[in-house]
Amino acid sequence: MDNVIAARALMGISLGFHIIYATIGIGLPLMLMLAEGLSLRTGDELYHRMARRWIRPAGLLFAIGAVSGTILSFELGFLWPRFMEQGGPLIGLPFWLEGYAFFLEAIFLGLYAYGGRRLSPRTLFLCTIPLTVAAAASAVFVISANAWMNTPAGFRLEGGVLTDIDPLRAMANPAWAHQAVHGTLAAYAATGFAMAGIYALALLRGRAPAYGKKALVLALAVAGISLPLMLISGDRSAAFLARHEKAKLAAAEALFETRAGAPLIIGGWPDPEVKKVRYGIEIPGLLSLFAFGDLDAVVTGLDGFPPGEVPDPRLVHPFFDLMVGSFFFMTAVAAWFWWRRWRAGEVPTDRRLLWSVVLAAPFGMIALESGWLVTEFGRQPWIVHGVMRVESGVTPNAGMGAVFLTFIIVYAVLTVGLLQMLLRQPESEQKGDSGEARHDHP
Amino acid sequence: MITLSDLGAAVLLLGMIMYAVFGGADFGGGIWTAFASGPRKKEQRESLFHAIGPVWETNHVWLIFVVVVLFMVFPKGFAYLFIALLAPLVIALVGINFRGAAFAFRHFGRQTGREVPPIARTFSVSSMLTPFALGMTVTAAASERIRIVGGEVVSAPWAWITPFTVVGGLVGMAVCALLAPIYMTVRTDGALQDDFRKRGMAAGWILGGLTLLEIPVAFISAPHFAAKLFLPPSLACITLAVASGLATQALLLKRRHLPAQIAAAGTVALVLLGFGAAMYPDLILGELSIAAASAPRATLLVFFAVLPFGVALLAPALFFLYWTFRGPPNPKTPPG
Repeated sequence: MDNVIAARALMGISLGFHIIYATIGIGLPLMLMLAEGLSLRTGDELYHRMARRWIRPAGLLFAIGAVSGTILSFELGFLWPRFMEQGGPLIGLPFWLEGYAFFLEAIFLGLYAYGGRRLSPRTLFLCTIPLTVAAAASAVFVISANAWMNTPAGFRLEGGVLTDIDPLRAMANPAWAHQAVHGTLAAYAATGFAMAGIYALALLRGRAPAYGKKALVLALAVAGISLPLMLISGDRSAAFLARHEKAKLAAAEALFETRAGAPLIIGGWPDPEVKKVRYGIEIPGLLSLFAFGDLDAVVTGLDGFPPGEVPDPRLVHPFFDLMVGSFFFMTAVAAWFWWRRWRAGEVPTDRRLLWSVVLAAPFGMIALESGWLVTEFGRQPWIVHGVMRVESGVTPNAGMGAVFLTFIIVYAVLTVGLLQMLLRQPESEQKGDSGEARHDHP
Repeated sequence: MITLSDLGAAVLLLGMIMYAVFGGADFGGGIWTAFASGPRKKEQRESLFHAIGPVWETNHVWLIFVVVVLFMVFPKGFAYLFIALLAPLVIALVGINFRGAAFAFRHFGRQTGREVPPIARTFSVSSMLTPFALGMTVTAAASERIRIVGGEVVSAPWAWITPFTVVGGLVGMAVCALLAPIYMTVRTDGALQDDFRKRGMAAGWILGGLTLLEIPVAFISAPHFAAKLFLPPSLACITLAVASGLATQALLLKRRHLPAQIAAAGTVALVLLGFGAAMYPDLILGELSIAAASAPRATLLVFFAVLPFGVALLAPALFFLYWTFRGPPNPKTPPG
């Protein structure tokens, strides 16, 4: 296996794996906080029990998230030492801040998850606040490092070496704000939908109706608030890309030619040979409108860059469409649910609606993974845009193929074990509403 | 003259000490679940298990802390070490992942009252493998086998395996095996407490023996490091470490558990401090100095600007965590 390919594949799989756990690690604390807060406010014990029941899956997922995140921090060194040697002084700051956020997350998670017998319900609720804030903060910080790779700032390039280093400016790089908002909201939407799907399925099977309805409403409320905000954030992102990451936008939209009145191409397969998108639906002028607010604006296409310095639209455009498509699917289902809820004045339980929620449940994660692939494939061939190519950042160590295989096995074993654990309901929970996780407050 | 880079190295060493003193005890818990013995075998395992649960993820973050300090403050050192020490780092990572997953699967599997996945059985093996690999990694930086020429690592991929680093790995394991039972004496009572007390004392002699063995091994396998061990700063640390180790034994003998816990943690800290003092002023002995490995001044300034705020947030939270989970690891009734 080619060393660069092996290193990229390993980094890609590691991130793709970790992102799932990191996402739940951001979204679930918010759900815990809302449930515990509602329980204290309304005096409804059911909310507290709901949150305490999430501890078992949450504890499993957070543990895998913590250890798989460690793989990433090590991989920065043993896959990309040349990149970190140059980039470390610049992106070290967000990681340094993230480290404290990790500490606080781990501390308050430990207190919340294991403190059922030692802390009062009120203190347990109070623990979920720093947990939620620290989880969101760690996402916002780590996204800064990724944003720096997309729009590097805070240095001068002199003979291939970064000088005049300004870590604050590097952290506040142009792409940070919109990427951080987009990524954090995506985590809330994805977690909300994933949980909604689980409870919709439980309701369909006639399990624990009172409890399931409350949980479904809570999960779809988090998703329902996040999704419209995602639309605004996505629109801002497109406008940003049009100005600062033109090659990425061109690849995402499969725009081969620089032109005024650029069309939005939905679906289809970009063919670089003939520089056309086959089987796509073209809407004239719409890309120009999204990018610059003007139907006739000029949008830079892939031909605006030297050959060998553009991303492959075949890797970017389909994932971009998958992300946007997932968004509209989830939005439609959430809108349907809330419209029915508003019309009927009670939680709708019709089977078609519940099945749609189940069907839409994985699409938050799918959208999130696709969006990440768009930003990564869309930056190619650069590891730091315009500054360092991927092959210049890679380790000189041979044998990355073997390391890749080692970690494939690790991930396979972790996944199988985790699925075995998650798919098996504790006996107490199968009994329905009266069930209680053993770790609960007496 | 102490430079900002030197202070950065001090923070790095402090992170390593914190990881050893806190995270090490969790690995030690894994080791002693494998070596649980006698009539209270089950109680030993249970109490270790319940003690690790709430804190291991927090203690694990010290490792992330060390890695981040390394790449932010010493990016060159990070790059060279992670190129030269690929193999032990991969082994440690596999161990970290299996230990964490195995713990979570066992803990949460128990609640279902049914079989847990086979990976859960790797808990104690990976609790031994990880500190061994990390012990080798740390001592490899002093092994004089990592060679850097013209900005490239030129040593062979397995050059870091020497008698010196093998004993270093064993010391890593012994540190963990020492801390876990001694910490447990404070949180248990009766016969169980006595079990842990005896295990702590045995582990203490093993750690002492291995650490002292490392000195002659170093003279053969890493002579420059050995010579530096006998310079005043590290010699002072080693002498104090020996004294602290003996004090731990005496305190355990007298059943003064809380002072023994502090002395045991102090022993481990002093061993690492002695190692750090002997390494100074190098990050990779003989090949890369702290000054040469260091990031530009602007990075060091923001690093130290953030540090006090981080500590101000972290210290009370950590205190609250350990204070909440004091006393018997699995209490029937809440304390107080």
